[in-house]
Amino acid sequence: MELNFPAPEYRTIRFLRVFAFAIIASVCLSITLSQVLWTPLKTPLAGGETTVFNRTSQGFGQPAPNLTDAELALHTLGDRAFEATFVTSPAPINAGLGPQFNNVSCIGCHLRDGRGMATKGSLLVRVSLPPKALALTAEGKGAHSASLFQIDPKSLSPLTEASVSLGNAPPVPGLGTQIQDQAIYGVQPKATVAVEWQEQSGTYGDGLPYRLRSPRLDITLPDGQPLPKAVLTSLRLPPPVFGRGLLEAIPENTILALADANDKNKDGISGKPNRVWDVQQKKLVLGRFGLKANNPNLLQQNAAAYVNDMGITNPLFPDKNGGTEIDQKTLEASTFYTQTLGVPARTLVNDSGVRRGEKLFDQANCSACHIAQLKTGDHPVKAIAHQTIYPYTDLLLHDMGQGLADGRPDFDATGQEWRTPPLWGLGLTQAVLPYSTYLHDGRARTLEESILWHGGEAETSKEMFRTLSKGDRNALVRFLNSL
Amino acid sequence: MLNQVFRLGLWGAQGILVYGLLMSCSNASKTTISTPLAGASGLDRQILVDVVDKVMIPNYGQFAERAADLSRAIAVFSKTPDESRLKAAQVAWVNARGAWEQTECFAFGPASSLGYDGALDTWPVNEVDVKALLNSKTTLTADTIDQLKDTEKGFHVIEYFLFGAEQPRQAAELQPKELTYLKLMGENFAGVAQKLAQSWSQGIEGKPAYREVLTTAGLEGNAVYPTLVAGFEELVQGMVDSLDEVANEKLGETLEKKDPRLAESRFSLNTLSDIKSNLRGVENLYLGKFAEENLNGLGLSAYVAQVSPKLDKTVKEQIEQAETALDQIPAPLESAILDPKAAASIQVAQSALNKVRETLEGDVKPLMTKS
Repeated sequence: MELNFPAPEYRTIRFLRVFAFAIIASVCLSITLSQVLWTPLKTPLAGGETTVFNRTSQGFGQPAPNLTDAELALHTLGDRAFEATFVTSPAPINAGLGPQFNNVSCIGCHLRDGRGMATKGSLLVRVSLPPKALALTAEGKGAHSASLFQIDPKSLSPLTEASVSLGNAPPVPGLGTQIQDQAIYGVQPKATVAVEWQEQSGTYGDGLPYRLRSPRLDITLPDGQPLPKAVLTSLRLPPPVFGRGLLEAIPENTILALADANDKNKDGISGKPNRVWDVQQKKLVLGRFGLKANNPNLLQQNAAAYVNDMGITNPLFPDKNGGTEIDQKTLEASTFYTQTLGVPARTLVNDSGVRRGEKLFDQANCSACHIAQLKTGDHPVKAIAHQTIYPYTDLLLHDMGQGLADGRPDFDATGQEWRTPPLWGLGLTQAVLPYSTYLHDGRARTLEESILWHGGEAETSKEMFRTLSKGDRNALVRFLNSL
Repeated sequence: MLNQVFRLGLWGAQGILVYGLLMSCSNASKTTISTPLAGASGLDRQILVDVVDKVMIPNYGQFAERAADLSRAIAVFSKTPDESRLKAAQVAWVNARGAWEQTECFAFGPASSLGYDGALDTWPVNEVDVKALLNSKTTLTADTIDQLKDTEKGFHVIEYFLFGAEQPRQAAELQPKELTYLKLMGENFAGVAQKLAQSWSQGIEGKPAYREVLTTAGLEGNAVYPTLVAGFEELVQGMVDSLDEVANEKLGETLEKKDPRLAESRFSLNTLSDIKSNLRGVENLYLGKFAEENLNGLGLSAYVAQVSPKLDKTVKEQIEQAETALDQIPAPLESAILDPKAAASIQVAQSALNKVRETLEGDVKPLMTKS
């Protein structure tokens, strides 16, 4: 039997064929491996099951998708209340405006459920006397005795105003604790407020110059006199209102566990809970809402906004005779609305710049206060209970340095302390409200400026950003815009 | 031997080709990640450009012109008030209203940031303060009007003066101070309308034209719309929200509460016409046309038809059905809501409008975001 071996040339060709296959196979394998190693990130659900996939100008105003039909109906009712434009009484629709106010509707300040513009109507000024003035009153002993917070509303100002932070923010005679710079016809606004922006310059580590601006208030009382210098003032920009139910549902223990008031871990970052007056429970509780965390829950936050910002008396803050201009149902519906607005999902999570920026955000220790992930606990509204969320806040107070200080204490918050604002949805800010600005008083025209204003506990993080290369700074901002 | 060399070369070439193909696929997927959907999904930037240049900007331009017409008609009437001049001003109001309501589905952008939307169209009217101002000794000037709350100027206060709280309005009823108020409001209104149009086409107060922001969606440096799909999504969202408001607030709630005072343009009895204009605006964006100025371009339809001709047909049919349903409601809506015989026609229209909304939200939007 003759064995037929392939000719030597043919063997060479077969070898080359195998070799070629091997090359192709290895190329395929390496591509597959690189795909496996380069795992595309799934878009994190910023608000857990309340997350909405909407990167439009209406991204802050969508109902959480996990509401029941009955809850959605209540949310819609709250939506109508939130957009209702109030007019002077008597009127068939939406009566009760003023007599003094800052704006005529909730959405007049929280435009498209987002922030307001740094202009008249949106910006407001909180005022108070220096805390030591309390010593003049009989009740001024002990900064936190409950009786301090139960001051007769009649003593505040001629007009009703919810003012519960009286312990260390004593009302100014004739002004109360907030300047309503508008009024119905025939009534004087409390004062006129003019804001002048003054500029200062700085330089990035790479030598590139930048400019920052800060507000200077010029407040004139109805008699033409300037506001006395001793009065403490705090200029405030309305913050966005979505996702607030989730923040309300974060267990108190979680927030307290994040606190490190005396900086025991020596990282230069403390984190302090505010203790504020709960009007319903009539006691001091953990503060969560407001730029200094001076409100304990959304019902009180909304009720205070109704009466302080629009002059709308309500079941929590009635007029002197117990009368109200909106009923309990409306107050509860508008509160439910703010509890159940969904949180927009992030965008471009697999963009290389965004991923690099996220690493830099951690490296610069921004994430020490802007904590990415938290878990909600029990809450009467099931849709927001037990969710894993990505708000980028710790809800704690931090010393942000002299540059950002308003010098006006609010319960346990000092004049230099502010609550870490959530950063979720930050990248939608300019789609929701073009030309809007950032930080508590709207001074920062860009996200870069916002970061550069950080001081105090955030000084080291700010310095790291300032000294990054331009490419890295852009990456960090690109990450923020992906939120 | 030559043949073998040739075959060897062929294998090598095949290998390089396969490698190249695989690499290009891999690169393509990475490119898609950094600039999602640019071109690949059928989203054509030209659609955004056409919708802005052939619908939105011409519509705002038309509104600004009609606002100026209204201001002139009011000036003529307030100088020599008589019935015919009053009628002319009323017609000018209705015309301006028609152009404005068509813009409702693209109210994003500078309209609310810069306060134009509020100054032009806030509801309800603060009748108590308007009357108090008229009864006061305050001298009315352009500055006084500028400083007024939004509930004391704009469309509905002008409407309140021109049509009166109780129909029909007589020219002789208007007092000199009311005529002055009206004239100044007309001027203020036309000025704001002009600024709004300018904010989109040329830019205002040192800010870039909003036209540039939307049409450059997804291009480097655009932090407002970082992806092309976000720009498209904005258009669909605007249509969805406008249809929701029209179906469930302007029609639904007004019918449910049977309260004509909830009808937005109740002084002029124009609410039904407002609603028809709102739907026309949605249709304009979808088709990329502004028929009143004979402009035709690519609309969202061009994209939907490419991906799903059937869905495109459905949207067009549903828009037509909603238009037909609105035409069946006996005008004015303000009385139709009180007429049990008309209730069914209102419900049919509400349901037809909701169908368009549901298709846009449930079928068209996912096409873009999931592709």
